[in-house]
Parts: sequence; C-alpha cells; structure tokens
Amino acid sequence: MPYAVIRFSVLAVMAVAVLAPLSLVGYQSFLSAPFFDSMARFTLDAYRFVLAESDFWTAFGTTLIVAAGMTAIALPLGALLAFLMVRTDLPGRAWLEPLILIPLFVSAVVLAFGYVVALGPVGIISTHVKAVIGFLPWNIYSLTSLVVIAGLAHVPHVYLYTAAALRGLASDMEEAARVAGAGPWRVAFNVSLPMVMPSMLFAGVLVFFLGFELFGLPLVLGDPQGLLVLTTYLYKLTNKLGVPSYQLMAVVVVTIVAVTAPLVYMQRALLKQAQRYVSVRGKGLKQAPLPLGAWRYVALAGILLWFAITVIVPIAGITLRSFVVSWGEGVKLMEVLTLDHYRELFDYPNIIRGILNTLGIGVIGGAIAVVCYTAIALSIHRWQSGWTRVVDYLAMAPRAMPGLVAGLAMLWVFLFFKPLSPLKATLFSVWLAYTIVWLAYGMRLISGTLLQVGPELEESARTIGASALRTQLDVTVPLIRYGFIASWLLIFLIFVREYSTGVYLLGPGTEVIGSLLVSLWGTGAIDLVSALSVVNVLMIAFGLAVALRLGVRLHG
Amino acid sequence: MADLTVEKLGVRLGDNEILRGVSMTVPRGKVVAFLGPSGSGKTTLLRAVAGLEKPHSGAIKIGDRALYDAARGIDLPAEERGLGLVFQSYALWPHRTVFDNVAYGLKLRGVTGGERKKRVEAALAQIGLSHLAARYPHQLSGGQQQRVALARALVYEPPVILLDEPLSNLDAKLREEARAWLRQLIVSLNLSALCVTHDQIEAMAIADRIVLLNGGVVEQEGTPTELYSAPRTLFAAEFMGSNNRLAGASAGAGQLRIGDAVLEGAARGEIAPGAAAIGVIRLERVRVADAAGPNRIKMELKTQMYLGERFELVFALDKMLVRAYAEREISPGAHYVEFPKEALWIFPQG
Repeated sequence: MPYAVIRFSVLAVMAVAVLAPLSLVGYQSFLSAPFFDSMARFTLDAYRFVLAESDFWTAFGTTLIVAAGMTAIALPLGALLAFLMVRTDLPGRAWLEPLILIPLFVSAVVLAFGYVVALGPVGIISTHVKAVIGFLPWNIYSLTSLVVIAGLAHVPHVYLYTAAALRGLASDMEEAARVAGAGPWRVAFNVSLPMVMPSMLFAGVLVFFLGFELFGLPLVLGDPQGLLVLTTYLYKLTNKLGVPSYQLMAVVVVTIVAVTAPLVYMQRALLKQAQRYVSVRGKGLKQAPLPLGAWRYVALAGILLWFAITVIVPIAGITLRSFVVSWGEGVKLMEVLTLDHYRELFDYPNIIRGILNTLGIGVIGGAIAVVCYTAIALSIHRWQSGWTRVVDYLAMAPRAMPGLVAGLAMLWVFLFFKPLSPLKATLFSVWLAYTIVWLAYGMRLISGTLLQVGPELEESARTIGASALRTQLDVTVPLIRYGFIASWLLIFLIFVREYSTGVYLLGPGTEVIGSLLVSLWGTGAIDLVSALSVVNVLMIAFGLAVALRLGVRLHG
Repeated sequence: MADLTVEKLGVRLGDNEILRGVSMTVPRGKVVAFLGPSGSGKTTLLRAVAGLEKPHSGAIKIGDRALYDAARGIDLPAEERGLGLVFQSYALWPHRTVFDNVAYGLKLRGVTGGERKKRVEAALAQIGLSHLAARYPHQLSGGQQQRVALARALVYEPPVILLDEPLSNLDAKLREEARAWLRQLIVSLNLSALCVTHDQIEAMAIADRIVLLNGGVVEQEGTPTELYSAPRTLFAAEFMGSNNRLAGASAGAGQLRIGDAVLEGAARGEIAPGAAAIGVIRLERVRVADAAGPNRIKMELKTQMYLGERFELVFALDKMLVRAYAEREISPGAHYVEFPKEALWIFPQG
C-alpha cells in the first residue's frame, strides 16, 4: 500500500531529525574528547568534572531561583488578568486582547537590550529619575530585576491557558451555583477557580519550564554581574577552556534536558487533566460580566502599567537609543539625534545578509516548515494505531531542548554526519534547527486545524471511492487552507523572533538577526545592536499587523 | 447488481461488543431498514458495511464479491467497496459547489469531460436541483443539502446505497414530504438501499423489509407488516407502535390471568401455567364496550386527553393502567374495556 509507505517515510524522517541531535549529545557526554577526535574514548570524566564544578551548581541554583521566582510572579498576575478579561466588565477588552499577547512575539534579547538602555545605570529613564530624586532606586543588573522582568514577560502564557479554561467552562455550572444562592464573587472563588485550577497548574509548570530555557534575559542582565544560569553557563563554557570542550558542554546539555524532559511530559499529563474540565457544550448563554464598579479603571490602569513595563519601556528605549549618537547623564536629546546607526548597518555585509536571511527563513523557511508539520500531522491524522502515541512523544522531545542547546546539537549533527557537513555553512542548517525546535508548537497548530475537519467529510470521500491519500489532498487539505495561512504567519513570527537557536550555528552565510544580536552585544556594539533590534521589532510588528488584519488567533 | 449479504458480523469498539454476529440480506432492488433503539448497533452495522468500522468476525458480500471476510482475511478499504453512503450530516464538502460535490465520484472513476457533465446534470435533474449546480452547500436549505448528498452517492450507480438517518436533520413537516419523495425515488430508480433509522414510522414508510436490532443482535427481520402485526418477541412487540403492557400470570395456553379476570390472547412462546406472563396490546386495538362480555374488564376512567384527531383515554384497575383511543369524549366513571383476542399477545416474562 503506497499510502503506508508515504506515512512511514514521513515519520521515519521526523524520527531521525528529532533523535539524531539528542542521541549525539548523549553520546558526546560520555566521551573524553570531541567526537571527531580520534583519541576520544568512553569515560565518565566529563560528568565528574562538571558535577564537581561549583560554578555549575551555582548556575543550577540560580536557574531554579529564576524559574520559581518568575512562576510566582507570572502565575497570579496571569490568572488575575484572565479573570478580568473574561469575566468582568473591564473597559476595552476587545483591543486589550492582542496587546496582552504581544510579549509572546517580542524577542527576549531585544527586550533585554531595551531594559539596559532604558533602565540601566545610565539608561534613558534612569538618568531622568536620578535627576529628579538624586539616586536610582533599582539595579537592572541583579537577580531581582531578572526575576521580575522574566515574570512579567511570561504573564501572557498564564493568561492564555487560564482564559481559555475560563471561556470553556460550562456556564450552566456557574448558573447552578448562582441559583443555589451564591453571589458572583463567591461563584468565582468556589466554582470557577477550582475548575480552572488544572489549567493554571499546567501554565505554572510551563512557565517554570520556560525558566530553564531563558537565555537572552540572563545573558544581558545577569552576565555583567557574573550571574549565570544553566544556558548562559553553557554559552560561557564554550570560551572558558580555550579548546572546544564538547564533552563538558554535552554534560551541561544532558543535565538541562534531564530537568526539562520530565517537565515537558508532566505538561502533557496536566494538559490532559485540564481538558477534562473543559466542557464542549458550555457554549450556550454567555453569562453577564461581573460589574467591577470604579475598580474597573484601577484594573485597566494596572494592565496598562504592566504593558508599559513589559513592552513599551524596553521597545521605546531601544528605539530611542537607535536614533541617538550616545546617551549619558546631561545629554540633550535634540543634540544627539542621528540616523547614522541605520546607515552603518549597510556597511556590514554580514548584517545585510542577516536581515535578508531572517526574512527568508521567516517567509520561505516558515512556509516549508508548515508543509513539513502538515505532512507529519496528516500522516497520523485519523490513524487508529498505537504509533500515533510514539509520534506524539517524538514531536514533543525537541521541546525539552532550549533553543541554544538545540542549535548546538544541530551543529554537532552537521559535523558528525559527513555528508551533511557542506550544509552546515548554509541557511539550511538554521532552518532545520528552527523547524525541529518548534516542531511541537507547529504540530499543535496544524493538528488543531485538522481537528476542525468533520470526520464524515473525509469518510464520504472514502466511500465515494477516494483513497486515503487522495482524500487528504482533495478534501482535508483544501478545508484547512485558512489554517495554513494562520500557521504560516505564526511560524513566521516565531522564526523571525528566534535568537538562541542560531547562536551556535552563526557563521558566514548563516547569519540571522537573532544570533547576530547576541554576538554583536558581546562586542559592545550597542549602536548597531539597537538599530538592528528595531529592524527586528518592525518585522515582527508587520507580521503581527497582517495576522491581526486577517483575524488570525495569535495563540494557535 | 446483486444482493448485499451480511453474515455473522461481529464488531468490537474497545472492549464493547457492538455487534454480536448479525446476519441479514438486502435483496436486489429492495429497501431494507435497520431499526433499533440507540446503542443497538444499527449505525455501526451500516458503517461496517461501508468500510468505516473494522469488524473482527463474519463476512460482508455483494453477490459473490467479498467486501469483508474474516475467514479469508479480506477487508476492502471504503474506497474499493464502490458503495454510496449518505451521511446523517450530509457531509457535503463546503469548498466545492453542488456540481463539483456530485462530480467527484465520477472524477475518481475516470469519467471525464462531456460524459461527466451529462451524468452530473442527470443526477441533479433527478433530485430536482439542476438550477442550483453552481451554488455552494452553505447556500442551500437542509432539504436541498440532503438531496445533493443523495445525488452525490447515486451518480456513479453503486450497487447498494446506504442511508444513515437520512431524514433526521430535517424539520418535522419537511420530513414527511422527504420520506415520500425518497421512497419514490429509490423505487423508480430500482435501487437497493440500506437505511438506518431510529424512527419506526420512517422505517415502515420507506422500507420493504425491516431488520430490528437489539443489543447487537437481530431481534426480528421481516416486512413492516410482519413486524408491526406479528412481533415474535416481547422486545419487538413493545418497540413498535404504542402499547399497553399487562402484567399477569399464565392461565393455560393463550390465557392471561389479571386479578380475577382471565383474558384470551395469542400465545407467543411457551409459558407454564401459573408462571408470570406479559400481555401486550397496541393502543389502537383496545376498545371501550358498553356491557360486560368476553375479554372485557371493568375499569375506571382516570384521564381523558384531547389529541386533535382523537381522544386518548387512561383507565385504571388497582395499579394497572390501560391506555386507549376513542373517537369522541366518553362519560366519566366505570367502563368495560375490551382486549380483542387476536390483538392481545401473551409473552413469557423476560
């Protein structure tokens, strides 16, 4: 049966793409030298070395603190935000919704640069504050700032899942409580909150997990103080010993994955649990929103303040910085305005390539990635077999690798498999790494779309005489056309935003804005970094505008 | 065209035995209806015939051609069975016009150009929707969609056409019209059809033969008249029509004792004298008489309801309730209620 052949080829390619980098990292971690070194032999030395390093344990501890701290901030705020948006008469809910989701699409390095230029010791806002009150009440380069900023930036993640759960609640359950005599606030705490608890728990684990993936924020905000988390520790390790200490890096990667992998599978279990409470039939009457009275304006102000701190301050900061010669105490804005930084961008061929590559990988690469995700999703669509579970788990596996790690693993794959090596210096390597890192996300987008196709639409084609493949080409695919466009846009946004995955793959020909930003930041070229950041933000703003114009749901 | 036969078909969904060895035949040019309560397996049976559910035992054949045969390891995929299926939801493809929906089956069979156009137009003419060929499904009414779904399944002339609750998505008035239209179309085209329904009136109106399913087995198979007027089991008797159920004891062959009275009836199955027995009689067969007589019981009139074309009466004697119809209102108080011998079936208790 040719269909089975197609199906298994698709799944085999996916399995190789997912498992090769992971296995290679595992293999490398047990070697005494880089895998291409003929002297390499099996040993546990790398583990002994890393686990004996106090810096490693410090980084591990810091990561835990950051992850737990940002969860503690994001969880209550996100849940509150969801409740305000879904269940109350908060003014301006319609236009707030896309606003709330914006942080999901802004590159974390860009945000981090923005905080430094706005709130750093000689930042644009800092100098004004100092001028007024005489001292600076915050220190941007501190663990506290890192935790607070990371926490605020992850509020949308919690918001998304809690809001979805609140919307999915059967209103009759709440109405039953109302009729039984409970007031609206009582219903919120006694009925609604317990019912969305599983979703909040899921969101909490998700944010904690994302804490282990943080790279841009700790690199920019923590590193100057010597504050390392696991990802930045890994990044620093590259340069630490002078020689390529692949085995040590592999061990760090293994320890990161050892923490994140269980978290990913825990999320899967929790999501199942959460969906048990979501009722499909609860779409009947929309209950009247709870009146907040005068508090509605307080709530609105609170949300706008959060948005200002999380998005406006850093973006405005980096934008302003990109238009001035320099910044410091006593500088007059009108005297330092310039367009030179943007002109300078054109002096660097690698930056021009980076911009074009980013566009290419977002538009073309995004489209190809969507085609790949679709091929995988279609090959398990309506397949009644235990294999779908395996595919499911495989698709989630790359999720356990932070982007930085996945990029490193990918680099090794290209070095290890000699026939692939020529591709290392091409954009293909970056595209492949991006596509694998976002496999789980892309699969979720596409399968969500596929679920909306009624099974009888496909069954009717089968009974009329169309083969399985034919049915998918003639019925399923045309029916999800809109979903393709939406997925393509979302993948575009994600690929343009991505920075950490490209870091280890950065080289002549493989420049993308994200990895260039990280590398330029290291050289202290703040002028170029701010101008390039603005270019990145503009690309994302354009993509977001198109998505909103087309009515794409920003959360897949 | 040849007969469709199903032999000892077993279907399991998870741990649930949905069909436990169902056998039946759709003779050429006949309409057969699967009738049964929800959960009886009728839709599963239809889907198994279509190739959409996977059986684990038995066989499905059209003439000598096996569509499924557990013993020989044959299981044709849906697309190779060449049947026509009309879905309950119609399942018209929203991205294709009416014409393209109907034409798809021909396209898959390599019918091209003018021939394809001619046949689609003929099919649309048959269902009286030639003028809507360029429309999309969402621009049609429910009744029109149903006709298009039928044309789509008929256009490539399948040996048997399968209908899953074909009328259940239409509103009540339209349903009666569509029923007559559907029966007429099937008969005039001399089609073999298999129709699933939970509505006995629909089954009796459309079908030449009814297969009554209960808990995954065939309870009774026969013409609508046989099923309605000669049910073989208590389930069949009670499933069809509106019935009175009289709980009593056997007082010899064809006799039912209720309290002091003994009613004569038609025995269905062996019952030892004195053993518990159930009498079943259709509402329309119960008569209200004006004097004592054989097979009559004196009962109190409890309620009288006006139904438009007639009255429904409820009589009571101790705890036993009997419902009956009357042409006109009757006086309150005690009446003699007659259970005609030939209309009262006596079954052994469960």
